Amino acid sequence: MKKRIIFLMLVCSFFVRANAQDDLLGDLVKEDASKVKQNITTATFKSSRIINFTSVEMTGKGNLQFMISHRFGQMWKEGKGWTNVAQLFGLNSGFANTYMSFDYSFTDWLNLGLATTGNAQFESWAKFKILKQQTGQKNVPISLAFYSLMHADASEGPSPDDQTWNRFSYLNQLLIARKFSESFSLQLIPSMVHYNYVPYGINNTNNIFNIAIGGRMKLTNKTAITFEYSRQLNGYKNLLDESASAVNYVPDVVSLGYDWDTGGHIFQFFLSSASSATNIGQLSANQNALKVGNFSLGFNLNRSYGIKKLVQVH
Amino acid sequence: MKKITLLLALLFIILSNVVNAQTYKTRDANIFFNPNKDQSHKDYASVSKEGTAVLKVETNEVALLVPMKTFHFNNALLEEHFNENYLHTNKFPNATFKGKLIGFNKDQLAKDGTYTMSSEGQVSLHGVTQNFKAPVKLVVKGKSATFTCNFKIRADQYAIDIPALVKPKLSDETPIDANIVFQLN
Repeated sequence: MKKRIIFLMLVCSFFVRANAQDDLLGDLVKEDASKVKQNITTATFKSSRIINFTSVEMTGKGNLQFMISHRFGQMWKEGKGWTNVAQLFGLNSGFANTYMSFDYSFTDWLNLGLATTGNAQFESWAKFKILKQQTGQKNVPISLAFYSLMHADASEGPSPDDQTWNRFSYLNQLLIARKFSESFSLQLIPSMVHYNYVPYGINNTNNIFNIAIGGRMKLTNKTAITFEYSRQLNGYKNLLDESASAVNYVPDVVSLGYDWDTGGHIFQFFLSSASSATNIGQLSANQNALKVGNFSLGFNLNRSYGIKKLVQVH
Repeated sequence: MKKITLLLALLFIILSNVVNAQTYKTRDANIFFNPNKDQSHKDYASVSKEGTAVLKVETNEVALLVPMKTFHFNNALLEEHFNENYLHTNKFPNATFKGKLIGFNKDQLAKDGTYTMSSEGQVSLHGVTQNFKAPVKLVVKGKSATFTCNFKIRADQYAIDIPALVKPKLSDETPIDANIVFQLN
């Protein structure tokens, strides 16, 4: 028994001494390392857009973001020869689509936006963050957001008695993204476009489905290459337009982009086979065939402003 | 016999606690910095309120650990840049300080008052360790001891790369205020 007591004393005294000798910072580091940390993935994409399509990223809580984007004319029109060069590959061809938007995040899961483009076209949207990619106690392999947009056409209509509700169309998208590594992210975007009104035609349909994939590959901390491909699944062949003439849309849209983050602004330069400035146009009524000359230059420019004080700094 | 064993064990546990009682610890150390060139503006300022600090009274040793991701900004984009582009916080998750308080003794904790001393040691930030020395003020009031330390660091000392576009808006030396409150018992 005595032996046991001596042993116990030794053990105890050893612990006490060990405690007294251990280095303070080492203890803190150990304590910190032993904490199970929830690691929430950030910056899956640089901006709230990949190129044409919205990304799973949202304007930060309490921030107002202004975005202006331009799509210029087609780079190389067949049969135009040197005129294409004189038009600086579409930059001054007399054709450009401008898209301007404001969006604000009330919480870190809700973003509301307003936009205007083209010929008296208006859009408003709500974007909900449903899942955040994270590791730790809880593992979530993907980020998920739901994007719902309403589009109103306020341009001069074909007839004055045309009904208001005929001028609305809608876009609903699921944004499913994963950041695979520090530099590589992918996003899958199934979408549905709904037109309140379509002209009569046996192949015309109110609901159009589309599947798209987008990705980003970082080059440096501040620059990245992006790409997008979208494929329309129905409602693009042998349609009839308002004047009952036949239309065929091109179901594929390909875009390539370059992101540049200057610290305050995010510039996104891109080449896209779609010239429409709205997602609805790109996803359901693209008229540009997939040919090198049909690509047009464009850019998105973002600036966000901190509106709400989130942290009390002194 | 068993009782004696237990008693002895208990005695040692108490003893070891006494030794531990000479160490004070807090989990809500405040670290504030404001890199704005014009210090009256606070748009780039940030604060972490989740630093862990320990003070060992007999040896005057202090240590501080601040998880970098606990620094929060008023602009979410700034916070992202801070983590992703400037301090690479996935790679270097903590800032630490380890050192001694010169001019501190435990009698100061027993009596209300304001004391000045200095801290000396090493700061590790962004994977770089630098020697550090700065004046410290201690205010003891009842059961709380507040250590404040205001100092300045230069970004290039810690290999923090600031792009030329941003540089004109920032001061060359970033003032940092550390505010650490220990509850005495």
